[in-house]
Amino acid sequence: MRRLYLFFFAFGLILSACGDDEGVTPDDDGMPGDLSDIPYDPVAYNLVVPEGYPQMEIPSDNPLTVDGVELGRHLFYDPILSADSTMSCASCHAPSGSFTDQLAVSVGIDGIAGRRSSMSLLNIGYVYEGLFWDGRSSTLEEQALLPVEDPIEMHNQWPNVVDKFKEHENYPTMFRKAFGIESRSEITKELAAKAIAQFERTLVSSGQSKYEQVRNVPGIFFTPEEQEGFELFIFEENEHPGCTHCHKTFNQMFTDHRFLNNGIEDLGGCDVEHLNNFPDIGLGEVTGNIFDYGKFRVPTLLNIAHTGPYMHDGRFETLEEVLDHYSSGGFCAPNLDPNIQPFPMSIEERDAIITFLHTLTDTVFMNNPAHQNPFE
Amino acid sequence: MRKILIILISLPIFIASSCDKDPEMEVVGDVEIIFRANYDGELFLTQKDYEYIPDMSIKFSTFDLYVSNISLLKEESSTDESELVEIDFVDLSFDINQQSRAEEGDTVFTKKVPAGSYKGFKIGFGVPADLNRTSPNDYGSGDVLATSSHYWAPLDSYIFSKIEGFVDKDNDGIYETSEGEGFTFHLGRDEVYTERIIFPSDPIVVEDGQKLEIYIDIDVKKLFNMPIDQFDTNDDNLLDIEVYDGAHGNQEEELIIAKQLMRNYSEATLLEQ
Ligand code: HEC
Ligand code: HEC
Repeated sequence: MRRLYLFFFAFGLILSACGDDEGVTPDDDGMPGDLSDIPYDPVAYNLVVPEGYPQMEIPSDNPLTVDGVELGRHLFYDPILSADSTMSCASCHAPSGSFTDQLAVSVGIDGIAGRRSSMSLLNIGYVYEGLFWDGRSSTLEEQALLPVEDPIEMHNQWPNVVDKFKEHENYPTMFRKAFGIESRSEITKELAAKAIAQFERTLVSSGQSKYEQVRNVPGIFFTPEEQEGFELFIFEENEHPGCTHCHKTFNQMFTDHRFLNNGIEDLGGCDVEHLNNFPDIGLGEVTGNIFDYGKFRVPTLLNIAHTGPYMHDGRFETLEEVLDHYSSGGFCAPNLDPNIQPFPMSIEERDAIITFLHTLTDTVFMNNPAHQNPFE
Repeated sequence: MRKILIILISLPIFIASSCDKDPEMEVVGDVEIIFRANYDGELFLTQKDYEYIPDMSIKFSTFDLYVSNISLLKEESSTDESELVEIDFVDLSFDINQQSRAEEGDTVFTKKVPAGSYKGFKIGFGVPADLNRTSPNDYGSGDVLATSSHYWAPLDSYIFSKIEGFVDKDNDGIYETSEGEGFTFHLGRDEVYTERIIFPSDPIVVEDGQKLEIYIDIDVKKLFNMPIDQFDTNDDNLLDIEVYDGAHGNQEEELIIAKQLMRNYSEATLLEQ
């Protein structure tokens, strides 16, 4: 039948528990079995999601465990991942910015600015349609391997990083507890990526934003201005904002995770050949199809008041600029999404929409102690 | 097409449960259903100009729909149905660089049916009411009903079909949303679900162990047929798309248009074997 509720936890735990007894080869980095005295008792991590959120799909070969998530959190905040030990994942994905760096485009260890804006990792475990602005990475496990060797991010080499883990005073024990390895020689970049992915999957909304409370708690209402903004936001008839065509309220995540051209780029013309004028071709880089040039993933609007500057290249400083763009109907292009329609908008209406967007702020999530830097 | 990710993930369970099912000695055949689109007889492609009415061209960017309850009927009046498809999503938004894929069409996932001769072919356009009571949260990613882009939370309904693009209202050769030239028909809600039974001139014969191919051709232009005068002021039996350039499920007028467009799937559809 079609109702497939999938619960992977137990199943995955069993699988990973049986995969551990491969032979250990002696290695300079440690004696075979040098970790085997440390107990390995994986405990399933209880992922709590707010009302109305779906069950998160977790790969069966990487179930969330308490020790796995804890190791992932350490790795996420540890600058030893970068070549000069100055930068961790959190340098560009900080909890106070809903796991963005609040810069227009991110800057790596060598001071070189990248071409894109950091993305919020809130509810990242629910993105199954392709990670990054252009969808080029399909799983969190695969994605977590990339920043370390990216020359304009952490500019390191994994073998160096893995060596540092093996020599580290705590990590071998933590890898043992998370994955049941027998000796430090079994530490790999793949296990590190798995742990980071586990931590990332715990970055779920708290369900405590004003918007969620209005939905779920009797007696809590929008102010009249928030209410007006909400109604404008969801008004889909043509010549109205119609934000929910793409920033879907379903799942309360305010995105449908599709890749679209929302008309921010002036291509100097409206014909197919003008599509070559996108400075960053986005999804087109992944598919090679010219009609995918300039398409980027619809981002979540949760915590949007804290994740500016906006768009994949951080071109808009403020939400006012974002709304002025949408109201103009955007720049023409053969692949412009037809749901981008010009609409009249007074300053009051613009303010109302922005006031509504502020109700999507999830302070409890950003301040959640479980998500913070374990080294502080 | 329907991704089988979930099936892969749950493979061990699947294998386990398949152990205790003895294959029945039933005589069955495969039916493959292939959806293709045309615009007034010409291969349908997105990003391509077609004539909507004289002096007004149209260009599509999206054309997709849910099909459901597809079954073969033994007799014209019988309730003896063999189900081929409960629900599937057909995406025919192939662009001008994907011509060969458009010619191949989009094949839906079908079940085996008993071999024999069938007189009728039943097909539903949209998500039937029972499934429309569910929501994307009820499905694993990759399932056709898991896509939130085709769900309206405020209306508790799937969007059954999306037809989007541009019309060159001012006939200047440029399609511009900033001049209101975009159109977006999002058709959904129980009221607009449409079912049709086709009785082809030759019966549909499913042979033991053989694969039968059935083509369903949809003429996208016919979807805009408009018998209601209010929405067709120039009497060409086509929707005045330059005025009524969208439907989103919640306005009275738009719902009437949506109903008509969905109903048009019946006459826009041709079955070929
Ligand atoms: C120098 C800044 C920087 C560092 C360091 C960095 N990131 Fe990122 N991250 C970005 C940028 C910029 C993007 C968007 C890039 C793109 O789309 O091409 C991104 C995207 C992502 C995404 C995809 C989010 C989505 O919604 O699809 C994930 C997941 C992620 N980073 C995790 C990590 C992890 C884990 C680390 C550490 C191993 C890390 N990042 C280190 C800047 C950084
Ligand atoms: C056609 C789909 C579509 C519609 C309709 C739409 N958006 Fe977007 N939105 C996008 C896409 C795609 C992006 C990312 C584009 C990019 O970065 O190049 C985006 C980005 C944004 C961003 C920046 C997010 C970030 O993290 O940088 C904000 C804010 C935003 N949209 C708000 C709105 C509002 C408010 C409306 C209604 C007035 C709206 N959007 C309507 C598709 C859409």
